[in-house]
Amino acid sequence: MTNAPLVAFAGISKTYGNGTLALDDVSFSIAGGVIHAICGENGAGKSTLMKILFGLEQPSSGSVLLDGKEVAITSPRVAAEQGIGMVHQHFSLVPSLSVTENIVLGQEPRRGAFIDRAAARQRVVDLAQRYNLLVDPDAVVRTLSVAAQQKVEILKALSRDVRVLILDEPTAVLTPPETDELFERLHDLRAVGLTILFISHKLREVRALASHVTVLRAGRLVGDVPLDSVEDDAIARLVMGQAERPKLKRGGRVSGAATVTLSGVSLAARDAADRLHDLDLAIHAGEILGVAGVDGSGQRGLVSVLTGRIQPSAGGIAYDGHSIAGLGTAALRQRGLAHLPADRFHDGGSKRMSLVENAIAGAHRLAAFSSGPFLKRRAMEARTVQMIERYNVRAPGPRAPLSALSGGNAQKLIAAREFATEPRFLIADQPTRGIDVAAAAFLHERLSELAEKGCAILLITADLDELLALSDRIVVLYAGRIVARMENGPDLTPERLGPSMLGLESAA
Amino acid sequence: MIRSALASFVITAVLLVVVVGIVLVPIAMHMPDPLAVLDMFVFGPFRNPRHTGNIIEMATPGMMCGLAVAIMLRAGMFNLGVEGAFFLGGLATVATVLLVPLPGWAMAPVGLAVGAVVGSSVCAVPGLLRARYDASELVSSLMLNFAALFIGLFIVNYFLRDPTAGAMVSYKIPNDARLPRLVAGTRIHLGTIIAVAGCLLGAVYLFMTRAGFESRIVGLNPAFAAHLGLPIRWILLRSQLIGGLIAAGAGGIEMLGLYQRFSWQGLPGNGWTGVVVAILARDNPILLIPAALFLSYLQVGGDLISRNFDVPNEAVGLIQALVLLVVTSSAIMRNPRLLRLVSGRKAAANKTPGPKVAEGSAA
Repeated sequence: MTNAPLVAFAGISKTYGNGTLALDDVSFSIAGGVIHAICGENGAGKSTLMKILFGLEQPSSGSVLLDGKEVAITSPRVAAEQGIGMVHQHFSLVPSLSVTENIVLGQEPRRGAFIDRAAARQRVVDLAQRYNLLVDPDAVVRTLSVAAQQKVEILKALSRDVRVLILDEPTAVLTPPETDELFERLHDLRAVGLTILFISHKLREVRALASHVTVLRAGRLVGDVPLDSVEDDAIARLVMGQAERPKLKRGGRVSGAATVTLSGVSLAARDAADRLHDLDLAIHAGEILGVAGVDGSGQRGLVSVLTGRIQPSAGGIAYDGHSIAGLGTAALRQRGLAHLPADRFHDGGSKRMSLVENAIAGAHRLAAFSSGPFLKRRAMEARTVQMIERYNVRAPGPRAPLSALSGGNAQKLIAAREFATEPRFLIADQPTRGIDVAAAAFLHERLSELAEKGCAILLITADLDELLALSDRIVVLYAGRIVARMENGPDLTPERLGPSMLGLESAA
Repeated sequence: MIRSALASFVITAVLLVVVVGIVLVPIAMHMPDPLAVLDMFVFGPFRNPRHTGNIIEMATPGMMCGLAVAIMLRAGMFNLGVEGAFFLGGLATVATVLLVPLPGWAMAPVGLAVGAVVGSSVCAVPGLLRARYDASELVSSLMLNFAALFIGLFIVNYFLRDPTAGAMVSYKIPNDARLPRLVAGTRIHLGTIIAVAGCLLGAVYLFMTRAGFESRIVGLNPAFAAHLGLPIRWILLRSQLIGGLIAAGAGGIEMLGLYQRFSWQGLPGNGWTGVVVAILARDNPILLIPAALFLSYLQVGGDLISRNFDVPNEAVGLIQALVLLVVTSSAIMRNPRLLRLVSGRKAAANKTPGPKVAEGSAA
């Protein structure tokens, strides 16, 4: 039995009720005591596989073997008994409870009928020290940063005596320094004998962390190799199943006149994430201006004032030299504004409406799509079909609801709508967050293309690779101020951006 | 879209039958002839053309009030002013035909138009308050219903009351103003055709016009509407104006179709029925027609057993209450918009933006 791998998947297939084949005869094993990465595009089946291991989903056929023995993991409770823990992408913490309360929730130490708070706190302190995951045990979770909340999630999983820890895209919400710290902790955890399953689609991170990578594509296993035996390009090809991601690197192309200028723009707001202080900024025709910054540094406020949702409390914004004071979103869209919102299902579209309705909304009053008070439904559908083809949106059909699309495909459809207006000024807010490599590469090309045509683009992104690949110039926001301005070039690296993003250094 | 709505419609209807059975069977068991009670409830409405006619008469205001509610609900507005609008619309229609000298042929159309405009204020005022001050249309419309009721009763008592009638009712509605009856032996009137046509037009409005499309965007996702720069406040107000006009027009049609005199002493309840009809039909204008007919059928069956057997009226009330409960609760289970309303409307607005990755749903 000693030779049996810790976890083995044997011929796992999963067909969902709607007929989608999410996993197709997937078999591989995970050795104990390693960090094992699972790579793949969105919809490749990574999450489904992890849900099966964690007992949230049941395989349609095939089995999971732990230590060589077949185990039916029928619920997360069974998974926990088997020593499997999972840190979800969306944390499952209670925001109003303290760190201690969150960690001991469900297995509270008791004294009689009461919870032994002192013992609970001590348990958390010991745990945090043992794994070097330092958090204040008394802090209320709501007040913690995202990175700290993630630590609490990990501690919560560790407190259940796990052998296998699943991390679902843990770095999506972290800044580079925070990511580095997480990786150090994960290496420590591996050193004390834990097995870590790391789901990601960022090759750099996989390389930095894992020793073995399994690649899934469209529900099938396409690669299962030790990392030291393959090149990055080879993994990228496996993930994408086609040519590798083209390496765009722009930089230093300030071409046309300023399309949008902000002079001394401030925004007073209750929420710190909306506040802006005295921003001076010009976005020129034909350039992509990248905005770096930790989430909540004023990006949301910047988008709000630029899209006319909120009027700045001081300073002025001009489109082509004309002040836009008092103009709302509709008027600005008429002047050539387009916007890819950060939360694509919240602002970018309506999940329960059809693709046609989502793709045409906003343009529906144009003569092409309406006559008198009536909509030309056939013309709307024809245009949508065109968009679906041109943007390579994988969809069951134009009348399917937006909710039927994966994140990447929904984003492509929304981009198709926004770009169809031939915008002069585009705000791309986290344009590729959480979507697969192929869709991201596709959108990057479209953004580049738009800039070539003379559109001024403001790119707000937490993905520094994306920022550095696309931007001509970069500004760094911190606490609502521009703290650094840089020309993009080959020598600009994430490491150079990090300090200003965290407010440690001001070069403005 | 219709097919999916139809599925839940059928489920709800089956659920209703089960529930009605659960109430009715124990009541029937107390009777000397339980089977006769059930038989009367289920088949009675179809044995006599007059009773079948009752179903259709009763469904007429149900359809129109349901349409008013559905149009507002599609825009995300839970405006309960339909009840007051129905009442006031009926009164203003009657007042117009009684007080304004009009040629006979013009009485009904002018009366209904005036009634619709005046009555719609009960929906429009909460709509304005909502658009202007963000006041909850739910609360203000609910309150305004009672203001409309007592203003209406005051007008009846001081301006329209027929002193010879012996009750607080208006003078007789002139024959010229009455809507023509369609089927001999029943009281089915022109209003039924207007209501059915209204539901069809409502479907055209919601799904085939720009305005309807915009109101659905606002109703399903206000954040998306804001992103597109749609004039949200105007769209909200517009849907409530349309809803108010329909509900008030329904009140006028009800008066001219069925009544001799304006005799409502309280809110007639058709607006509330409209809410139930709209929820049962999942805000789908076409499905309003069967939904209203089904509820009327239950009502007529209930009336029949309480009239013919020793079943207390309260039992019928109990059935209606359970029907309401089932209809609304199953809607709450399925309709995220209502769910949001029930769990507090701020929940949706304060949604914190965060990474939203659809990996799971795609896989």
